[in-house]
Amino acid sequence: MIARPVAGAPRPYTFPDFVSHRLPNGLGVWLVPLPERELVSVHLLTDAGAATEDEAQAGVASLTAQLLVTGTHRLDAAAFAETTERLGIVVSSESSWDSARAGFVALGQHLDAGLELLADMVRGPRLDASEFERLRAERLNDILQGRAEPGRLADESFLREVYADDVPYGRLSAGRPETVEPLTIEQVRAFHASRYAPNVADIIIAGAIEPDVALRTVEQHLGEWTGSGPGHRSIQASARGGRRVVIVDRPGSVQSELRVGHVGIDRGDPRYFSAMVMSALLGGVFGSRLNMRLREELGYTYGARCSFDPRRAAGPFIASAAVETDVTAKAVRELLGQLDRIRDAPPTETELAEVRDYLVGVFPLRFETTAGIAAAIEPLAVYDLPDEWWHAYRSNLEAVAVSDVHAVARELIHPDEALILIVGDASKVRDELAAADLGAVEVISAD
Amino acid sequence: MAQVPIQRHVLANGLRVILSRDPRAPLVAVNLWYDVGSKHEKAGKTGFAHLFEHMMFQGSANVEKGQHFSLVQAAGGTLNASTWLDRTNYFETLPGHELELALWLEADRMASLLPAMTQEKLDNQRDVVKNERRFSVDNQPYGDWDERIQALVYPKGHPYHHSTIGSMEDLSAASLADVSDFFATWYAPNNAVLTVAGDFETDVALAMIERHFGPIPANPSLPGAPDMTVDEHIGGDIRVTVPDQVPLPRIYLAHRAPPFGSDAFEAFEVASDILGSGRASRLYGSLVREQRLAQDAAAFVFPIVGGASMFVFWVTARPGVDLVKLEAALLAELERLATEPPSDADLERVRNLHASHFSGGLERISERADRLSMYTCLFDEPERINSEVSRYVGVDAEGVSDALGSFIHADNRVTLTYVPAEAAT
Repeated sequence: MIARPVAGAPRPYTFPDFVSHRLPNGLGVWLVPLPERELVSVHLLTDAGAATEDEAQAGVASLTAQLLVTGTHRLDAAAFAETTERLGIVVSSESSWDSARAGFVALGQHLDAGLELLADMVRGPRLDASEFERLRAERLNDILQGRAEPGRLADESFLREVYADDVPYGRLSAGRPETVEPLTIEQVRAFHASRYAPNVADIIIAGAIEPDVALRTVEQHLGEWTGSGPGHRSIQASARGGRRVVIVDRPGSVQSELRVGHVGIDRGDPRYFSAMVMSALLGGVFGSRLNMRLREELGYTYGARCSFDPRRAAGPFIASAAVETDVTAKAVRELLGQLDRIRDAPPTETELAEVRDYLVGVFPLRFETTAGIAAAIEPLAVYDLPDEWWHAYRSNLEAVAVSDVHAVARELIHPDEALILIVGDASKVRDELAAADLGAVEVISAD
Repeated sequence: MAQVPIQRHVLANGLRVILSRDPRAPLVAVNLWYDVGSKHEKAGKTGFAHLFEHMMFQGSANVEKGQHFSLVQAAGGTLNASTWLDRTNYFETLPGHELELALWLEADRMASLLPAMTQEKLDNQRDVVKNERRFSVDNQPYGDWDERIQALVYPKGHPYHHSTIGSMEDLSAASLADVSDFFATWYAPNNAVLTVAGDFETDVALAMIERHFGPIPANPSLPGAPDMTVDEHIGGDIRVTVPDQVPLPRIYLAHRAPPFGSDAFEAFEVASDILGSGRASRLYGSLVREQRLAQDAAAFVFPIVGGASMFVFWVTARPGVDLVKLEAALLAELERLATEPPSDADLERVRNLHASHFSGGLERISERADRLSMYTCLFDEPERINSEVSRYVGVDAEGVSDALGSFIHADNRVTLTYVPAEAAT
């Protein structure tokens, strides 16, 4: 048999060059020309995410973003859909905690027509009362549907239980039924009027463009955009704290959805690279400790993983798996065991090298598509990261040593403070979990 | 639309090799389609083709358990595999200079999987797959819809009658002897297509492929395809109602349709886009936006090649909506398209969406490689990748209506309705 081959010489790869401008009205413009492409991706980001909404109106940012695609002053919902789709364009508009994003992918020749429609939609959306009623009802239904899915129910329940009572991050960015239901079209119009403004917005265009032409096109459609938005408020991401076991009862479940974790880090954390490497080693790749133990050794699950979710303030750190009901308590112990283990001793050099080489080596693959490249510029615009971010990215990863992984695990992984949340059949898992001595066990209803 | 370059070779052992060079990024995709899927499973062995796919990651003569993943990932690559009705595929995308690693890994398991097999590994992956079934089917609202639809659209004994994930009972019964038999029967170079796409030198890649795959013997007694013959229409209007843990009712409609690859199939792709693709689609416009009967609506046709394909719709009811009314509204849209040919504007919309979507898909070399393998494995015609768009554009308005008129009727229909369990009692 032929021995394992030795790799050839790598061809160098660098993140594509880009230019950025700021228009007089404050709009940031990021242009990434990519020769030999047929497509262009456009992402218009506005600091109008959930972090800019009043808690009493939680969900207004998300509904506003969604409502943008239901027409402009010139075109009603049907005409707007028809006009964009006849250009081969499906316009998207959604929001997260830290921004609202509207955009599209199109063949390069449709950039001008697409940008005109996108600019109209963001500057002068129709915000029709009837379409608002429809989307609000659909959102409420979607929340209901989400709570019927064990994974989505676990995600939503985990946020509610892990953050202190008044922390916005304790809910989905799209809001809760209690706050979405009373929203009005007037609140959406007021939100749009006050939050969507060029001084808190950036447009990213990547793909088949001539930068000069693209810049003139942006100036033509968005140069006259006026107004001034307040941007986001600051969020204090405090934890409820304390080791607890919470069972969300879902009778008849044949698996338990596990979520184990606590509050994590924010996007500006100086330990970012060490934390990403540590998290990948623990549960971010197929060969990670969590997956190898719970899946490949024990067969408890189809997959086990963990991740941080850094935002402007500290998002959660969550380890998760869907496990067969009979092994629920054992699986929780195994999962906690891996959190202990990564704190107790540094990883081996080989283990670290495997994960670090993956993160470094997979770099060009992340930027294969125009949409992937446009998305890569987003954190530069949203979190004010340095322009050199992606140029320095691989060397920042390579600089992470086993001692850094160990140190960051000790600082950021806290099994003793972990919330252990289980969505499953309480009648089948409660006694075993109580006997496992993992912490005080509470059972709550799924509704 | 730029043409995808295609070079075709066949090794002496029958392995079909497709090369598609594109040096724009320093990346290469390796993709293998084996012409074996769940339709080849015997009675009592449902789910085995997929369980076997998992066993392909448990090591081979020169590769340890788990090493297939760890070597590719440490090289900066991504990888996976999937099993479906007609086929099983395995794929890696990695930096171009690591091409030979992927070829070596794929060849090692094609040549010598069995020495690495143990009962312990089989038991472990059987548990993993059972948890995959629980995760994706048994513990999800509406999770068994495709399993139920297949069993209703295809008669008992037809190779598409059962799902790819298979039954718990059959998974429990799978043995090491089954692994050996399945491997010896289907995992041979003359039952596979290997595609390499991206950044490589043709001569170098061909030499690597010959070195690693050339010595693997063919299976001289490869079985033929199973008999997929089935009547063109279902021959009835089958209705099934399922009480389940779902908050909103959902109606699935399924019909037999011409198989993927037939000329008649294209019209169903166009019809499904007119009805279900985008916010200007007929179903979204009518049922979701205007009449407000549905929370969502979808239309799609299965790209499967045996006997008959399936043309499927689903609509999720808004709370309180009368299901009879929702179903009638859905059928009215199908009827309208069957009796009035779509307008030029309808066709312009879906053709342009299709063109953007096609270009978007082909931005990834992994997608290019997968489609080249698909067209070669299923039709022995990789060039179909370059006529996808023109075949789509070749469907005219009458073609769409005729297709619907011939297949979308009550003598060829399954209606599967999920209702909230508490409302059903």
